[in-house]
Amino acid sequence: MSDPPPTPGPFADPPVKPDEIDLGKVHGSILREHEEPAEGRESVPLWFVTLIMMLVFWAGFYLANHSGGFRANVFNPVPGNQSPVPPDPATLGRRVFVQNCVICHQASGLGVANQYPPLAGSEWVLARNGHADNYLAAIVIHGLEGPVIVNGRLYNGAMPPWKFLRDEEIAAVLTYVRSQWGNAAASIGPDFVRQVRERTADRAEPWTQRELQAIEGRTAPKAAGNASPAP
Amino acid sequence: MNKLPQLFAGIFFVFATSWIGLVAYPYLQLGHMQPVKSAVTGEAAPPPLTGSAVAGSRVYAANGCIYCHSQQVRPAWLSTDIEKGWGPRQTVPRDYLRERPSFLGTMRTGPDLSNIGVRQPSVRWHFEHLYEPDVVTPGSIMPSFRFLFVQRPVRGKPGVDAVAVRGPNAPPPGHEVIPTQEARDLVTYLLSLRRNEPLPEADGSPVRQP
Amino acid sequence: MSAGEPTTESRVERAEIDRSLRGPVLFFFSSGIAWLLLGSALGLLSAFKMSFPHLLDSAGWLTFGRVRPAHLNIVIYGWASSVGIGVGIWLMARLCRVALRHRGMLLGAGVAWNFGVALGTAGILAGQSRSIEWLEFPGWATPVLFVAYALIGGWGVIMFRYRRPGHVYVSQWYLLAAFLWFPWLYATANVLLIWQPVQGSVVGAVNWWYGHNILGLWFTPIGLASAYYMIPKVLGRPVHSYYLSILGFWSLALFYSWNGMHHLIGGPFPAWMVSASVVASVMMFIPVIAVAINHHCTMRGHFHYLKWSPTLRFTVFGAMTYTVVSLEGSLMAIPSLNNLTHFTDFTPGHAHLGLYGFFTMTMFGAMYYIIPRLVGWEWPSAAMIRWHFWLAASGIALMVAALTVGGFLQGLELNDPQVAFMTSVAVVAPFRFVRALSGILLAAAHLVFAVLFVRMLMRRGERREEATLLAPQGTHSELPTV
Repeated sequence: MSDPPPTPGPFADPPVKPDEIDLGKVHGSILREHEEPAEGRESVPLWFVTLIMMLVFWAGFYLANHSGGFRANVFNPVPGNQSPVPPDPATLGRRVFVQNCVICHQASGLGVANQYPPLAGSEWVLARNGHADNYLAAIVIHGLEGPVIVNGRLYNGAMPPWKFLRDEEIAAVLTYVRSQWGNAAASIGPDFVRQVRERTADRAEPWTQRELQAIEGRTAPKAAGNASPAP
Repeated sequence: MNKLPQLFAGIFFVFATSWIGLVAYPYLQLGHMQPVKSAVTGEAAPPPLTGSAVAGSRVYAANGCIYCHSQQVRPAWLSTDIEKGWGPRQTVPRDYLRERPSFLGTMRTGPDLSNIGVRQPSVRWHFEHLYEPDVVTPGSIMPSFRFLFVQRPVRGKPGVDAVAVRGPNAPPPGHEVIPTQEARDLVTYLLSLRRNEPLPEADGSPVRQP
Repeated sequence: MSAGEPTTESRVERAEIDRSLRGPVLFFFSSGIAWLLLGSALGLLSAFKMSFPHLLDSAGWLTFGRVRPAHLNIVIYGWASSVGIGVGIWLMARLCRVALRHRGMLLGAGVAWNFGVALGTAGILAGQSRSIEWLEFPGWATPVLFVAYALIGGWGVIMFRYRRPGHVYVSQWYLLAAFLWFPWLYATANVLLIWQPVQGSVVGAVNWWYGHNILGLWFTPIGLASAYYMIPKVLGRPVHSYYLSILGFWSLALFYSWNGMHHLIGGPFPAWMVSASVVASVMMFIPVIAVAINHHCTMRGHFHYLKWSPTLRFTVFGAMTYTVVSLEGSLMAIPSLNNLTHFTDFTPGHAHLGLYGFFTMTMFGAMYYIIPRLVGWEWPSAAMIRWHFWLAASGIALMVAALTVGGFLQGLELNDPQVAFMTSVAVVAPFRFVRALSGILLAAAHLVFAVLFVRMLMRRGERREEATLLAPQGTHSELPTV
């Protein structure tokens, strides 16, 4: 080999020419080392060739059926895979609840002490002790801020308005929370939510407890709209 | 396989197929998406991000929110994401066209944030939660981001944006906790995450009343 | 070329090659080990933070979302890439039968590489992370890495160009490919994600094309090249089948490179992209089984060597894990199974099995072979090597077991719409704690190895000419050439 000797670097030994290496001084690891590895010529096992064929066949089949024509706007590879059509009110109620309510009121419906009031056994939810159905709907539509007393305890948080939810969604989630965690109150229909929305249309701020309790209480008509019966 | 040119060419072209297939062609297909006109507001959807939201997305990146929070909703035929409440419909490329980069994420150590602006629109809640997550959400293992807040003595009346702290990291008496600009930007960004606009190509798009 | 008794000339040639490699390779090894210790510490901290979220939570630079990417990038670019480059350069020089020239420049490139890693890590901790997984280093640090790499990778290719005539061994294909693929990957990802960012969802596609390929087309080829060299070298027998080697290499190149999108099944991408990755992932059965047969049949009848040879024990552990982790990866890509494992701790379990159980263990094996030849000294303590092996093997086994079972349970809860989200956090919590404990085992293994490495560099212990074996050889006379 006619290569020039290696350039010394910070870690390097003094340059050595090949013929200066005395085999007697070469370290034992080099002396006992085998020759560099080589390759045998065994053939590929037949079962493996078969497996490869099967995999290739499957790959072609899968791609042909799941590629959606390689188009940019096909997200569902199998047209038969239809998503469930608009859910029934019970499912919708649970879905709205886990989407929008659990963050504060928790999946247990127990809320967080001092901050987010419970829904389970709450007189506001069940429209007891001087609370009315329309208070509940109005809170969801416009939100509620400041101190509020639930089951004799004081909570001081802020609930944002949810007016962007559709009437069916609000009705479904109200019906849902009135039928969970031992709650058993009548369902609320979308028509009632729409009426509350119309009556409070000029409201821009979240309610306070005092303001809410000043308005006239209304009761939702029984079995109104298409709300599902409580399970 | 003893010749450099052949080996080199093979290595090059085999890899080129994946570069073309998973980088170049998707870039042509998806790299120039345009907003649509919203059926709800009549404006561009997805809406442009405000300056504060863009700054907030950098705070989101800097503090690694992506390692625990995804921002993608899988379709109902594949998963229970929609049932689980992460969003009303699956997310599609158009949802992300304003984002550079997007934070799709690959972990759900914490909840999905695709629609956190819809699911929790309260600014106050977000400040309190960032400051002391496990007080606001019992059982949460999210770390406190109180380094995005400052404590200062109350001068006269308490600040309007003072955070109501309840847990062990409450400020000493006579002090209040105020979010920094970074925290404000981050919350603006979080509230901008609303991927619920009905899009024709998105499976499960609900029809919304105007 | 046959595996006969080496000639005196070939021994002199190897001694000369090793001498020329001494400085640069030892530099990459030492810096890699230093990063490994730092990376382990940060990994341990992030793991404990998941069980104790209040741990060190008062400062921004110590928050989980910065420590975790710092851990990942240090381990990827600081440890795995450094040691991979060291092993790769050594293997390339040995197999091409050329001494390294201009090693000062290679050393300089190594220094620049380490500078880039340090710069990028500092950037992440300071709050400049890009939060693009595996590419968190800020845009002002990545060019340093790229330039450093261009020099390093160039060395590998140039050595191949000036190789001595003769057969090109399978390890050389893998190394040449890895040295060529990495810059392409890194440049594409940096241009499209950091310097000229593309639109949101394309980011996801490019991100995982990169993220999966750096594992599949950078670390995997180096790990396989090392296993393909070390197993036959130590045993002194040829690799089972040249045809399986060819099949394994080209099918890996073709299929692995298409795997990335299986990280985003159900994400905002057209059906064809995800389906292509699903198919490619399942097709990974072909290269994996080819390599597994090849290595297994090479080892067949010689498994008792694992009692003695540190190189073989670590390498075979790595090679077997490669089979397991790859088959697991193929299964995880099938959409119905992915639905369960996606977004859960199952995924980091899989990642650690690949990068640690396979790659890192294989690199340890290679280092046990290479370092005595560079230093001219035998490993001073067999007991420490045994400790290193058993701590590392039990640590990674415990970690993967905890994350796999915990992730599985977490996935069941995440998919059940009747169950609150917090249930999925609670169910995996004990497994996360076990994972953190397993990290202690791994960190201890790395400390043992680091001490051993330093003692080796300082030529501690007595001067010996025979190999350090893990167990007394007994009546067996076939001395493994460790």
